[in-house]
Amino acid sequence: MTTCNCIVQAGQISGETQAGLRSRLDAFSQASFGSPAEIGWVEIAPGSGYTATQPSTSSIVSLTADKPLEQSERIPMLRDLCDLWSAETGCSLDEIVGVINDPA
Amino acid sequence: MPLYMTNAVQGAITDAAKQKIATDITRIHCDVTDAPPAFVHAFFVEDAPHMPLDGKAAFLLGSIRAGRSAEQKAQIIDEMRQAIHEHSGLPQDDIQVVIRDTPASWVMEGGDIMPEPGEEDDWFAAHEARKAAENA
Repeated sequence: MTTCNCIVQAGQISGETQAGLRSRLDAFSQASFGSPAEIGWVEIAPGSGYTATQPSTSSIVSLTADKPLEQSERIPMLRDLCDLWSAETGCSLDEIVGVINDPA
Repeated sequence: MPLYMTNAVQGAITDAAKQKIATDITRIHCDVTDAPPAFVHAFFVEDAPHMPLDGKAAFLLGSIRAGRSAEQKAQIIDEMRQAIHEHSGLPQDDIQVVIRDTPASWVMEGGDIMPEPGEEDDWFAAHEARKAAENA
């Protein structure tokens, strides 16, 4: 399983959209790392998320790769990850932080 | 990035305090590192199982770009613990603050790989130019 932690602002992503997003993240994980995504989902309550001191609309999606990655591998993966999140949720790229960690 | 995520016992930090702490977190991070405020995310959760409190009332985990000195991290830890104490009333020894490095090259924000510390001005210029070209 690939660890995939998602942090979103409450109310920003509907249940239906979340289901579609989970499916897309699972497919991304399978294609990139050869295993399904074990998704952790955290919603930040209203009044509890700030970006640049203002109420946040940012989402964080963080996965851990199955092996150390070269930047030439990581960058297109990050681009695909952020693009799928944007396409599925309607968030702009400026509202998305994507992280692909090397394994510890 | 940075992401400063605070987990606290339910009700220990009011929404009003969260806003003040988020403002202080942003100010402290930018003062210590010269990073722009636009990058700073300060989120709060309560009794979150993925961030064990280990007997404390509040636990702040800061995930920051790698490259800051030990002195900078120590200053961030001290000043953010003080900010949480001041705005929440929690005792300082009931607040844990941990800083964790993440290589900038592992993070994409706004569609671009994050800059290394100190390269933010060039990053913003390139980022805005790319967006303008895409919207042209």
